[in-house]
Amino acid sequence: MGVTQPDVPGFNLATMTDAMLVRRVLGGDTAAFTTLVDRHAAACTRFATRMLGNREDAEDATQETFLRAYRSLARYEERQTFRTWLFQILINRCRTAAVRRQRRHRMFLVDDTAIAAASVRPAVDAGDLRAELKRAIDALDPDQREAFLLKHVEQLSYDEMAAATGIGVSALKMRVKRACDRMQWMLREGEPSNVGT
Amino acid sequence: MSEPDDPRWLDDVAGELRREVPVRPAWRARLLDDVARAPKPSVRDIADDVFGDDEPALDRGRRRWSITVAPLTGLAAASLLVALGAGVMYVAMSSKTAGADESQRAAHDGPSAASPQLVSRTPTATDREVVRFELSAPRASHVALVGSFNEWNPVATPLSRDPASGKWVVSLRLPPGRHVYAFVVDGDVTADPSAPRAADDDFGSPNSVVLVSSPRT
Repeated sequence: MGVTQPDVPGFNLATMTDAMLVRRVLGGDTAAFTTLVDRHAAACTRFATRMLGNREDAEDATQETFLRAYRSLARYEERQTFRTWLFQILINRCRTAAVRRQRRHRMFLVDDTAIAAASVRPAVDAGDLRAELKRAIDALDPDQREAFLLKHVEQLSYDEMAAATGIGVSALKMRVKRACDRMQWMLREGEPSNVGT
Repeated sequence: MSEPDDPRWLDDVAGELRREVPVRPAWRARLLDDVARAPKPSVRDIADDVFGDDEPALDRGRRRWSITVAPLTGLAAASLLVALGAGVMYVAMSSKTAGADESQRAAHDGPSAASPQLVSRTPTATDREVVRFELSAPRASHVALVGSFNEWNPVATPLSRDPASGKWVVSLRLPPGRHVYAFVVDGDVTADPSAPRAADDDFGSPNSVVLVSSPRT
């Protein structure tokens, strides 16, 4: 393991705030970054997996996010939570990964033809609700999927979402609503709709 | 999962999507190895753009400003000299009211009478004030002070138990200004119960704040 936590008496990294850990890393204690990784890696991996649809791309995006965060830690400002700042980087990594993958495989659903093709149900059990849910979330426009996941899965406030995405609160609310409408339609009808597109 | 027409459907969908995606130990180990090989970040870093140059557009207005210095023409140089002169006068006048401003900020941040306490107002060679921090923690076996003044180092400033009062105490010389701090009690970070809380708390582990005013002259 590259970074280990030193055995310091009377000191517990796990109870320190994110901002304190950042200060410690900047002060030379790189082991404190391990605590930040352990605190946020699961949420980052989950968001990236839901955004990108597969584990490998998600791990790449998350790894790149933490490395960029580490290199740029001095630019973190405490008026923003570390989590929001980290998600700001992660969202951009996911957007970049999606664009790259779109160029490679044209996997993203951006037109009616692609949406119609996606409506063909994969060979799964009728009762496999997880597969249905994945199909519904994958069929959302990336902007709507991003907003939906940040709001309802990662449970960021709209202000935090605005800080992390660079999108205005009103536009984010609209995206979340459209995502909800569309997912509800798809889960009810079993196929993508044009609701909110 | 409830039916899509059921009002609970959104909670069910969100709950399903919130299922943990476990972090693979091998992935974590690789990441930490990469971190260990990366240059250590420091407060003096002007790092690469954290968001990278290859990302889709994202609020580019948030980027830092850059200032280009161009050769000054005669008129511009004269204007600059006038502006600098005005600035020097402003700073000189402002310094006379700095103490009053600090007092107003302290009042705004709430009561701070109990702890920590200024125990000396004698200006020192370094213009620092002696500030006494104390904490009542009768069952604690180790208490330390961490803060912006000691790089949040938990071994730099241990407190000792005062035999008379039974409280944990330490006195430090601090420069004038706002200092954020916390106690580490047997390994757990805790705010000072008798001091104002800092506004920059995060992750449920609050900090406290002490304002040290300029020494009287």
